[in-house]
Amino acid sequence: MVEPVANETANDNPADSRLPGLLEKLDDGIRSLRDAAAFNKPARLPRVLDTAKRVLLQDGGCAAVEERAEQLEEAGVFLGSDWATPQILVPSLTTHSLKSPEPTTVVIEALSELRLLAVARGQFLHPLISEEQAHHYLTQVLAINLALLFTGPSEAERETQGRLAKVPRSLLQHLADRIGYEHVIDRLIDEIWRILQQRPIQVDPVKQMITQIAICQANPEIDLGISGQGADRLVSSLYGPTQACREDPGIEVFGERLRSMDAQALQTEATGFARAMHDTGLVSPYHAVLLRHLMDQGDHLLAEALGLSSTGRDCLLCYRELVKALIREAVHPTTPQAIYGLGLMLERGIMYQPAVAPSLWRQIALPLSAWAQERLYMAHGNLATPRALLLEGVLCMLGQPLGVGQGNNPTCQSARALSMWAFNDPDYLLQMVAWAARDDEIIMHFEGQRISSRESLIGVASELPMDLDAVSLLVVPHLDRIYAEMGRRCVDRPGDPHRWVNPEFHGWWSGRGFRINVDVETGRLVELEDFLRHFYASYHPYYNGNQPLIHPQPAGVAVTDSAARFIGWHAITILRVAMDPDDTIRVYFFNPNNDSGQDWGDGVVVSTSGNGERFGEGSLPFEQFASRLYIFHHDPLERGELADVGDDELKRVIAYIRNSWGAERLPAEQLQADPGAAARH
Amino acid sequence: MEKNPSKGYVALLGWSLNAVEAAEKFDRRYIVVAPEWAEDYCKEHNIPHVPWDFERLNDRSMEIAQTLQDMGVDVAVPLFEETVEWAGAINSVLMDNPRLLGQSMLMRDKSLMKRRAQLGGIRVGIFEEAHDREDVIRFLKRVNQTLLKLDGDPNDPIHFKAFDKAGCLGHRVIRTPDDVDAIPEEEFPALMESHLDGWEFAVEAWIHNGKIRFLNISEYVTLGYSVFVPASPELEHYRPQIKQQIEKLIRTFDIEFGFIHPEYFVTSDDEMYFGEVAFRPPGFKVFELLERVYGFNAYQAMILCFDPKATEEEVAAFFPKEIEDAKGHAGCFGVYPRRRVVSRLEIPEETEDHPYFESHELTPPPEETVTKRTAFGTHWGLVYFTGEDPHQLKDLLKKQEDLDFYV
Repeated sequence: MVEPVANETANDNPADSRLPGLLEKLDDGIRSLRDAAAFNKPARLPRVLDTAKRVLLQDGGCAAVEERAEQLEEAGVFLGSDWATPQILVPSLTTHSLKSPEPTTVVIEALSELRLLAVARGQFLHPLISEEQAHHYLTQVLAINLALLFTGPSEAERETQGRLAKVPRSLLQHLADRIGYEHVIDRLIDEIWRILQQRPIQVDPVKQMITQIAICQANPEIDLGISGQGADRLVSSLYGPTQACREDPGIEVFGERLRSMDAQALQTEATGFARAMHDTGLVSPYHAVLLRHLMDQGDHLLAEALGLSSTGRDCLLCYRELVKALIREAVHPTTPQAIYGLGLMLERGIMYQPAVAPSLWRQIALPLSAWAQERLYMAHGNLATPRALLLEGVLCMLGQPLGVGQGNNPTCQSARALSMWAFNDPDYLLQMVAWAARDDEIIMHFEGQRISSRESLIGVASELPMDLDAVSLLVVPHLDRIYAEMGRRCVDRPGDPHRWVNPEFHGWWSGRGFRINVDVETGRLVELEDFLRHFYASYHPYYNGNQPLIHPQPAGVAVTDSAARFIGWHAITILRVAMDPDDTIRVYFFNPNNDSGQDWGDGVVVSTSGNGERFGEGSLPFEQFASRLYIFHHDPLERGELADVGDDELKRVIAYIRNSWGAERLPAEQLQADPGAAARH
Repeated sequence: MEKNPSKGYVALLGWSLNAVEAAEKFDRRYIVVAPEWAEDYCKEHNIPHVPWDFERLNDRSMEIAQTLQDMGVDVAVPLFEETVEWAGAINSVLMDNPRLLGQSMLMRDKSLMKRRAQLGGIRVGIFEEAHDREDVIRFLKRVNQTLLKLDGDPNDPIHFKAFDKAGCLGHRVIRTPDDVDAIPEEEFPALMESHLDGWEFAVEAWIHNGKIRFLNISEYVTLGYSVFVPASPELEHYRPQIKQQIEKLIRTFDIEFGFIHPEYFVTSDDEMYFGEVAFRPPGFKVFELLERVYGFNAYQAMILCFDPKATEEEVAAFFPKEIEDAKGHAGCFGVYPRRRVVSRLEIPEETEDHPYFESHELTPPPEETVTKRTAFGTHWGLVYFTGEDPHQLKDLLKKQEDLDFYV
């Protein structure tokens, strides 16, 4: 076990003399919290948290808190919060809480991690979580927050957290020292692969994590043991995917090497880059240098470097001038992901749709408004020109329609719309981008009435979202306002406004038929069986005449957390319903949330790979999906009759609902059938 | 805690979580009499509770006394200024002693209180009642004429206190006619007092069977900003005289039991001047400070002294020895934002890093624009300190006035 470095230097630092005094105060605080009557605990808590914060700011503070983990928990620090049930905590949420500007959030998160550390090390026998679970959880936390271990506070963190930014850093340092780095790296690698399998458009966070691993591997002070073997493919995909750039020589040197290569050598380089790119979805800056070099070297090398199949190559040859123009404008060492987007776009064959090629020519020449340039600059800096950034974004969105993410914003509707258009109606998407980026205005129509994004000032998001890909960055603010305005025009209509808004907002192909199983007034479930039978009849191949889904359809799900508790309503797209490799009928859908692989509790875990998913799809067995669905659209002219679904199957679906978000929403008559529930009423 | 039915049954008037908790953990039965909004909370946490609207005074007022009497309650304990006369009224019924109501009315009217003190031979400053702004101007002029000031000399200030408000609420310092214009209509009628240059301090005294059972001196560092307990040795030096003063006060106001919180000045010639007296727990969380240094719960002490069934021995055993048993000194500072526009709470590093710094109860700013401070006592939250050396503590508290907690 490596002892924390801090302890060895403890006596050199004058600040350390503060720790004993602070610990005395902390112990007083813990005692006072422990002795408080249950109803007065909230009043005593702030003092404990504030003192704990000051302890954590001291060297050796984490170890001192870890020693007090059991007393803290018994005193009631976590009572009434999610942290009271550590078995349901989600590691990925710690990134937000540890970066919170709110000291209370940071501190309680830190206390919880240190408590789990005590559990993982067998010092604290916790009634709700085992040693192994705690250990597993902490390795995930470390993996996800690895950046905090190796980097000083960013400007943003300094601004929002001040000296508080030291707390998550010393916390993670302490965890890593205790748990060992070797556990962390392998978890992190798995996590990166899991995310990459969904092929997100935004890869900056992943790139950062890979960079952290590379730094970690290069640091002789960190003993990785035998771990980290799997990282090579990731690290090399960014820093040296081929022979000619294996040692990460820098762009200049690599460019010189390319100039002295013959066709054979270039062919090898092209194949190597293409393989690395399609393997990970990540593109190395060297790849951009190669592609630009190959512009004058013949089309087959270009096709090779993009890793195209016969479909893509055909498309490239058909539109060679356009493709070259796109490469010239969009592909730079600072915008390498454009290559992946371009390659996949060519593979999709969408350029054969008559309006797409001319739309792309417009995009290449598109003048950007000052506001659009400003936003691109604010979000992505001046690594590339705003035009190149936007073009890269456009290529990626057209190539990876299911890689769109909403960022940390409540704009799932807008992200879903963008994804749907990129998937289903690419020239319409390009039209939207042109209006937004050039004119700062998008006009849509709602039942014949004109809605301008300029005139509707308030959207769902209260602040302008920044953590988005280049296209979303410019278009989402407009879509969000229009979407909110459409909602406002429905306020005096009874029932759920999505009935009218969804088809008008997303496109003609969204079914005008609409089913919802929640009564908007009371929040209770209504006509549940009919709803499910209708859904089966519309979507399930056994009940709809084996008709594959034609257009992507908007749908609404009730999202639940890993303890199956209701979190909120969420917009998704149903993409297809098909049999998976194990002969289970699954619903494949797009979730605009950034990571589709979510645990919705009660055994309902959204899968993102291994069950026949295409990149970016999430999937669930049909029954489980039906149990979280609350809104779907259908064609009112088709298949009016309800499916004759077996009682057993319906019961299973309803049981999933009852065990999760429907627990308190099921109508009264069904509760009366349940003697336990009836007795309570 | 297990309740002892042979001991008294007390009613707490007003909602204070710390008081409820103290009662919950004391061996006496209790019931909380609080506004209806506290009802759900009490039910949820099994806190015995009778809803009552203290703001409504009408012919149903007898009802609450009757209700408590029927329940077997022995005494009502006021927790806030607004419930002092309710306690007096209720106790006059429960104890069959009409004098208690009159006594509580005295405590609620700053002007009557002063007159009564004066009649008892207690020194008070010059004071007068004000019904409108003209009264205030006249008093300001007259006080300054008495002091032989000429027109144009800067005025000596006068103090203006709304009649029935607790502590620093509605307490203004008036120097100029402009200050007079700034007094809102609803603060009249009010008491005006001449300003005494001296050392202001407060006393907390627990009384049982007409005798002082525990006397604490709270030293103000700056009125309306900071206080600490027990007082510095320089002020404690006056303890025998202060004790005499309090005994005089008890006789004058005919107090048999309970708790009082008077304020005094001691002037440069060692003369004590009476400011005012309250019959309820002090503001600025002095009870919490006392618990911090002495370890006894001041609310429980209050319940004990009100309880007619409490015995001599029990009371004697409850209290620690003044000064001797204190573990250091504890003080607190009331934060008021110094800037006009603030965006966040940021505890100054020199405060947070000071070994005496204990905790704070500040919350993020409720609004960005800070309203101008008009009277004392509208602080945004308290910061607590404890330490061995009273002089260091005093300097530290004083220092806080120059720091920004909201930036």
